[in-house]
Amino acid sequence: MRDVYLVGAGQTPFGSFPERSYRDLFAEAYQNARESVDSPPDPEEIDEAVVGSLGVGGRQLGLSGPAVTEHVGLHNVTCSRIENACAAGGFAVRQAIQAVKSGMADVVLAGGYEVMTDMSSDATKYWLGVSGETEWERLTGTTFAGVYAQMASAYLDQYEATTEDLSRVAVKNHGNGAKNPKAHLGFSCSLEDAVNAPDVAAPLNLYHCCPTSDGAAAALFVSEDVVDQYSDERIRVAGSGGASDHVGLAERDSYTSLSATKAAAESAYEGAAVGPDDLDFAEVHDCFAIAELVAYEDLGFCEEGQAHTLLREGRTDPDGDLPVNTSGGLKSKGHPIGATGTGQVVEVFDQLTGNAGERQLDDPTLGLTHNVGGSGGATAIHIFEQEVAR
Amino acid sequence: MTGIDQIGTYVPRYALAAEAVEEAWGQFHGAGIEHTAVPGGDEDTLTMAYEAATNAIEAGDLDHTAFESLLVATTTPPLEEEPMGARLRSTLGLDDSIRTRQLTGSTRAGVEALVTAAERSGPTLVVASDSPRGAPDSDLEQAGGAGAVALVVTDDGTAEMTDHAARVDAVPGTRFRPAGSDESDGLGIATYDRNAYTSAVGGVAADLDTDPSEFAAVALQAPNGKLPYRAAGALGVETETIAAGTNVSEIGDTGAASPLFGLATAQSAASTLVVGYGSGDAAAVAIEGSIPVATNPHDGIVPEDRRSLNYGEYLRMRGEITTGEPEGGGAYVSVPSWKRTMPQRHRLVAGRCTECGTLAFPPEGACTDCGTFESYESVELPGTGTVEAATEIGAGGAPPEFVEQQAKSGAYTSAVVALDGPDGGSVSIPAQVLGDGETTVGDRVTATIRRIYTQEDVIRYGFKMRPLAED
Repeated sequence: MRDVYLVGAGQTPFGSFPERSYRDLFAEAYQNARESVDSPPDPEEIDEAVVGSLGVGGRQLGLSGPAVTEHVGLHNVTCSRIENACAAGGFAVRQAIQAVKSGMADVVLAGGYEVMTDMSSDATKYWLGVSGETEWERLTGTTFAGVYAQMASAYLDQYEATTEDLSRVAVKNHGNGAKNPKAHLGFSCSLEDAVNAPDVAAPLNLYHCCPTSDGAAAALFVSEDVVDQYSDERIRVAGSGGASDHVGLAERDSYTSLSATKAAAESAYEGAAVGPDDLDFAEVHDCFAIAELVAYEDLGFCEEGQAHTLLREGRTDPDGDLPVNTSGGLKSKGHPIGATGTGQVVEVFDQLTGNAGERQLDDPTLGLTHNVGGSGGATAIHIFEQEVAR
Repeated sequence: MTGIDQIGTYVPRYALAAEAVEEAWGQFHGAGIEHTAVPGGDEDTLTMAYEAATNAIEAGDLDHTAFESLLVATTTPPLEEEPMGARLRSTLGLDDSIRTRQLTGSTRAGVEALVTAAERSGPTLVVASDSPRGAPDSDLEQAGGAGAVALVVTDDGTAEMTDHAARVDAVPGTRFRPAGSDESDGLGIATYDRNAYTSAVGGVAADLDTDPSEFAAVALQAPNGKLPYRAAGALGVETETIAAGTNVSEIGDTGAASPLFGLATAQSAASTLVVGYGSGDAAAVAIEGSIPVATNPHDGIVPEDRRSLNYGEYLRMRGEITTGEPEGGGAYVSVPSWKRTMPQRHRLVAGRCTECGTLAFPPEGACTDCGTFESYESVELPGTGTVEAATEIGAGGAPPEFVEQQAKSGAYTSAVVALDGPDGGSVSIPAQVLGDGETTVGDRVTATIRRIYTQEDVIRYGFKMRPLAED
């Protein structure tokens, strides 16, 4: 099958914009994505659009996809919406790549959008919670914070990591997000702040939880046959992996590892013919601090139970050997559900094209995105390679 | 002769001390009462009935399915219409051909149920469960307690019911509850009320063949801690005999369950006279022989490790100052869907894969081990298990449909529990863990029944776990 190239990616700031519509947010992301392309495709050249959303906070359960593409003038484009909870964006990217690989389309727009901060926290909790296992898990009175807290309780019981290591995730990601003008919570924090925050769902405190955000992101994928028309960059989709797992935590074999991540990572690494040691950086799904520790292990960055050593030794800091979440991650950059997965691709595009501003790493060539739905019910992983020597 | 083989009791572990009420109100109207038992935010007369009945059944010799009658007595059913018997039967795993009857409308109902059992044949489960309420500053409210008593009655029960009697008299205004109200009331006409009580109690006792003075203990209806002793003269018994058959000072007025708590308290007495009274009516049963009492999860009828509430906590626990489910909607589980899963939610009915033996809960979908689709033999889990993962949900952390529970009872634990299989193995399920203590991975727990939540005014009951006492 033919190769697929990422020629552009852009996003809105992630944050709280209660008076903006999802269409308006998407339009800004689309515009920014177009502007990031050396020679942007005309609207009529876009063959297909695949967009991710949880349902725009419940206000538009159906047909939000065509609503955003028509809004930006992609009239009559083939558009479909992907829903895989918080991994909707990552799976929209995967579908876009598949459309190009299959030969059915040459230019495909992937995107995502969500509006979440214009409603009460109770309404948000309702809306987010019904993406989990609702008949049994939810009826123990838990939200996603609670489910990840359960994972953390098992992890801290099983391994040497401490709640302070969870707080290290916040310190690192806020440090990165403070350099990202698009970040929702773009401030840095001390370890002391992150340790002493009030509990949300013990053992997780406020600094161990990402915010809910408004925002949109978009990315343009093209085939090897047409890439020359649009870009001098050669950011190839080297690998793509997707996998699913039981939606409820109790049904899984392990509470300290996500088998969907392991399975998706295996496919992505195999497709890219690389291993975790080859990566220059990664954007991982840190909706809760424990998720970043578990991701290190499931993605093969370290052995099981050793994630805390990477954090303590600073190896995933921007100046470490494998920087993780240079964008600030979900924790600092923000988490507008459907936009999050595509937003990770925006950071990878910026890093690989040398446009990451203050966050810019030293000529990275291989980056990974890791996007998880719910507490691990679905995972999409992509590996991008910059083929142009800089 | 028809007799009682076993008693099971249940008293909630929360307690309100007379001093706490006095501190709030400047005075306390619960005569002769030191503590009242308070149901937890997710408890009601049905869950308390389940607890007491489970204690009675599990301590006795009869299998769950052997019971032919289920008699439920309460003045405070969770719903004014829709009887408790059917859901109680489901949670207890009783046979569905069982005859059920709900006796209500009078605190006499508990002893009335026992009289009814004495007149029936076949194994009968009598359960009296009550939680009387009144206006906040009333005698009735401040004396009001909570608890349940269950009795296993059989044709040749060890503690024989040798005689019984009943009498009715219209004495308006002594104790009544207007339609649609949660608060029982009385006009508080001291002498009138007292005379109604002593003449009914004395009269019904006089209808028995045995003179009251010949009983080792007398278990009287105890709306407070003083009134029973007022009947000493009418009955011709010593106050010690009455004291041997009451625990009202420590649990409060338990309505329909009150005289049966007295019977349980007098468990080792060689003979007991039990007299129920309510709103002018009385019923009495004469019992020869002592009766064993099971009180799980507590060592005695009155919990030894009670948690004393202050008055503010009490108002929260009772739902007096909580605001209910917030706007925004809760996760919706339809009633028919709930009904489909009742065997799981009420009795932990799991499945064992016929291909590989792996346990599944709920027994739906493909086997998590071998992938075989829905080929399960039904197995009932014993209900014990081990906590594998846990978190504490505090204020602000509960999803909308659990906000009311959090507001009433405070932080709760949401966990994953590996439930023991009936013959080894285990199956992991999500569950709430009760108790105020911190729940940690590795804790042993056991299942009980509580309110899960209420949606569309339909109360959803299901299992929750509570810490298992170390063996």
